[in-house]
Amino acid sequence: MTGSIFIIAAFMIIPLLVGVVSARKSQGTSEDFFVQGRAMGSVAVFFTVAATWWSAFAFLGSNATFYTSGPVYLTALAWNLLFGFMYYWVGKRVWFLGKRFNYLTPSDLMGDFYNSEALRILVVLITLVFTVPYLQIQLTGGAYLIEVASGGAIPFWLAALLFYFIIIVYVWIGGIRAIAWTDVIYGALLFFGMMYAGYYISQQVGGPAALFAQLQQSSPDHLTMPGPNGNMGYSMWFSLFVIVAIGAFMGPQIWLRMYSVKSGRLFNLMPFLLGLAAFAYFGSVLTGYTGVLLEPGLENADQILPVMLMNYAPYLLASLIMAAGAAAAMSTANSQIHAVSTVVTMDIYQRYVNRKASQARIVTIGRLSLVAFSLAAYILALTVPGLLVTIGIAALAGTAQLIVPTIGAITWRRAHPMAAFWGLLTGVLCVLMLTYGPTVSNPLGLHAGIWGLLLNGGLFVGLSLVLKRKDHEVVERFALARQEYDAEYHPERLEGASQPVGEAATAR
Amino acid sequence: MRKTLPPRKLAIYGGMLLGFVMLESPMIMIANKIDPMIMGAPFLFVWNLGWWAFLTGLFLLAYLTNWGSSSVPAPQRNR
Repeated sequence: MTGSIFIIAAFMIIPLLVGVVSARKSQGTSEDFFVQGRAMGSVAVFFTVAATWWSAFAFLGSNATFYTSGPVYLTALAWNLLFGFMYYWVGKRVWFLGKRFNYLTPSDLMGDFYNSEALRILVVLITLVFTVPYLQIQLTGGAYLIEVASGGAIPFWLAALLFYFIIIVYVWIGGIRAIAWTDVIYGALLFFGMMYAGYYISQQVGGPAALFAQLQQSSPDHLTMPGPNGNMGYSMWFSLFVIVAIGAFMGPQIWLRMYSVKSGRLFNLMPFLLGLAAFAYFGSVLTGYTGVLLEPGLENADQILPVMLMNYAPYLLASLIMAAGAAAAMSTANSQIHAVSTVVTMDIYQRYVNRKASQARIVTIGRLSLVAFSLAAYILALTVPGLLVTIGIAALAGTAQLIVPTIGAITWRRAHPMAAFWGLLTGVLCVLMLTYGPTVSNPLGLHAGIWGLLLNGGLFVGLSLVLKRKDHEVVERFALARQEYDAEYHPERLEGASQPVGEAATAR
Repeated sequence: MRKTLPPRKLAIYGGMLLGFVMLESPMIMIANKIDPMIMGAPFLFVWNLGWWAFLTGLFLLAYLTNWGSSSVPAPQRNR
């Protein structure tokens, strides 16, 4: 017990130290606090994107889903690859425009390109409303683990409170730089934890091959879709692939990690690195399936990993791996809290309350927002129960709707503000109605987010083709920026453009 | 604007499309079976692992070839 308390204490103290050290490099400007002066290097970018993207949803939810529902979570391999591809294809363009026009938030880009205040406000509301539930599941997951690792000595409410206290302190003093630095530690811990936990636990039944052989005899439904409950078939496989990848990618925390990047070249490498990291999910396969054999009938499936560790691993190892799980939750929660505080500060406070706010004032408001959103998520975690994956997917389906106007903004000069607004609104209302409507079921078994995207995309394209933009100056400004992007990174797209500029040209 | 993709870029993006189709189209239901077990793992798992490895390798190839673009990879520098 003393050893595990020591590990938990170290897990809490290390980020505080990192926050203090990173604060020394702080420049006291809003751009430094929110996007590290757009100068984040390659190691920090990879780990902070990966650790932010991988959350309690991945660390606990993946084990729980293999345990209860069979192989449907294997689609995570593909959604990691899709996420990586989007980080290159969409993220690099967003980064370029962000640097060109000095954006800090998602609504900066949308509001500027579509030249619409209503759309700007809608984007702010969507990012805030759908990020908080996802934040809640990080807190819940992290607190579960600390509670179990401490043998119940630290109860859930206190674990959650400690969890957020630590985050608030180091983000307060260090901003996104502190988050990125701690995410390097958390990211390494989380990937090690997932893989080693699976390997170690599966040894209890003779290793991976013996595990699958036993499962084939005792519960073959766990090895194929639609799983033992008969409700996780192809529709859910495809829905998860689309919604999780796009929803997480469109979260404000990932947007900040596009704007923060120092060099465009890094975007080219990220799909490979993010795809490679997905191998860690095989650890979850082994943990979840060993749980089916050794601990069937667990009431709260999200606790399968901590229960397996406590029952079958040495106490110190169990505590270390659970600390890795808490790291997964904390590395996402810190980024989300920081991102929503950025949105509140820049999109609401500076734009509508105090346009002439000083840099110091903006950073202070950002810090106060950290506390407010942490409190909201804490209250939700204590009062709204639910499986991590269920809550997580509903939240991701909402943020996923932002992909339609985003792709419009970065690629299509005909994209119309009315089309973006009504498409987005319809998509989100569809998600809410199909998710929470008491009498409506999802057609064809596809998730509400998929139907939202279809409606959203259809309206967006249809209305954009019918309507014509009158703000030609804005359209031309973006067309020119896109042309500059192509000239710099894809010169073959421009007829007669023989000389690339910028980064690409420097290599010649 | 150029209307066609350069051959190298076409091959990279075509390969990616193939990989994603194999993993996420209804074709996955053809691979949705336990037997034949390969190296002790169910067929569905091996299918996913194989196409994941293919796509991950292709992403590495894409990086090494600048995603099929004609511009030459540049060294990291502060811009």
